[in-house]
Amino acid sequence: MLFYLLQQLINAISYGSILGLLAVGYTMIYGILGLINFAHGEIFMIGAFSCYLFVKFLNLPWFTAALLAIASSVVSGIALERIAYRPCIRRGGSVLTIFIISFAASMFLRYLFMMFFTDERRAFPIPAFFEKMYFIGGIVIGLRDIIIFITTVIIMLLISYFIKYSKLGIAMRAVSYDKRTANFMGINSTLIIKIAFVIGSILAGISGIEYGLSFGIVNPSMGFNPGLTGFIAAVLGGIGNVPGAMIAGFIVGIGEVLFVAILPSIYSPLRPLFVWILLFFILFLKPTGLFRPNVKFDGGWEE
Amino acid sequence: MLLSIENVSTGYGKAQVLKNVSINLEKGEIVALIGANGAGKTTTLRCITGVIKPWDGNIKFNDQKIDSLQPFEIVSLGISYCPEGRDIFGNLSVFENLKVGGYLIQNRNEFKSYLDWIYDLFPILKERCNQIAGSLSGGEQQMLAIGRALMSKPIVICLDEPSLGLAPIVVENIFNTIQQINSNGTSILLVEQNVSLALDIAKRAYVLEKGEIRLCGECKDLSNSEYVKNSYLGIT
Repeated sequence: MLFYLLQQLINAISYGSILGLLAVGYTMIYGILGLINFAHGEIFMIGAFSCYLFVKFLNLPWFTAALLAIASSVVSGIALERIAYRPCIRRGGSVLTIFIISFAASMFLRYLFMMFFTDERRAFPIPAFFEKMYFIGGIVIGLRDIIIFITTVIIMLLISYFIKYSKLGIAMRAVSYDKRTANFMGINSTLIIKIAFVIGSILAGISGIEYGLSFGIVNPSMGFNPGLTGFIAAVLGGIGNVPGAMIAGFIVGIGEVLFVAILPSIYSPLRPLFVWILLFFILFLKPTGLFRPNVKFDGGWEE
Repeated sequence: MLLSIENVSTGYGKAQVLKNVSINLEKGEIVALIGANGAGKTTTLRCITGVIKPWDGNIKFNDQKIDSLQPFEIVSLGISYCPEGRDIFGNLSVFENLKVGGYLIQNRNEFKSYLDWIYDLFPILKERCNQIAGSLSGGEQQMLAIGRALMSKPIVICLDEPSLGLAPIVVENIFNTIQQINSNGTSILLVEQNVSLALDIAKRAYVLEKGEIRLCGECKDLSNSEYVKNSYLGIT
């Protein structure tokens, strides 16, 4: 039993890394703009799926395809901000309107890809290098799990450092607290918002590729569940709080895997239920999340 | 003429707030803009700093028209704004607030020397440099807001009601510092509801009533004017 749990824990670390990166993207965008970008899961999907497309149809070497895939995520994120969100915010859209637009964008991207590619599940290209396995005391640890974890930790450390100490990071925190006053410091808030989308999209793209490496399967609707789970992790971590989102991503990832591990196997399909139960508890016990949120809740849309 | 507002009319939506307002600021001056609540003082500052655009008229800084620029562009020209109600970044520390204030400074040594200047002016900020700004007292927040606005070494600083909500002794301290800042070469446009304070510190003043300039002149003359004494200083 212990071995089984330990094995599951190893799987959970990869899953936690993936969720952590997604959660940070959600929380950054919410922190800066006060909006939940539900299409974030689709940006994740675009990262994974386009990597598959670049390898399969353009025959690009894997690393090149991966970099281009991340670039595709970034382009999608920028397009999303420009086409879906900015016009609405500029015209004084209410929070509810933005919410609906966010859902619409998510569905649009998902069905667009389904239309062109069908929702058939594809095998994600995994370079031979990543297939190495290590057997330690009866437990299997894949090289890919180690790489995913280390990459994620490095990214998270870099982002934490960036947010806390760099000029741009402090500017982002200032804009997220009070966009108008930040303008009075000579900060171009619109540019900062774009940068937040770029960073969030890079993280989502990397997360998508990690998911492809970890689970081996990609399809246009793959963004829905991880996206939602990532969002709930962001809420758990205190919305707008970047380190909080990182930690919460791991908590949710590990929690979800252990939840399924402990249940009798007939109940495995109930896996997505875990996050909803978690969300339920969050809303009842600690709606602001485990850590301090970072948004000035004043409506903030008025110019 | 350092900063000039020429025949500006503006408002919000369809509501007109300012009617044909003209204000001048020469280099090295402290000019006060006084008036009752709702007279349009903050609107004037918002117009100067680019938050709202004038319907008519021009705003010129060093003879350059600035009324079509974005707020962050106007700041980079040398006009700093310290908003009404302080508006410090409550989630950042004192030091981080000042760092944001000095966002436009490229040179690290320059940044350090401005920071030292602000810490000299406001020693309490140095003391509390790592404290979260949201937990500071009102007076400390006001000092932080002014210090932050000064971090970009502005040519002109627009102060919006710095005395608001503060105890008299704190206000005295702040106004002494404002005087010091002016002696150092920064020109100041001061919006104040506390008329006696404003007339005391400024060289010239404009009296704004219902969006129009009712009176303007040297402060010593305005202090002696019967109208000002009756309407604003409570002296009959």
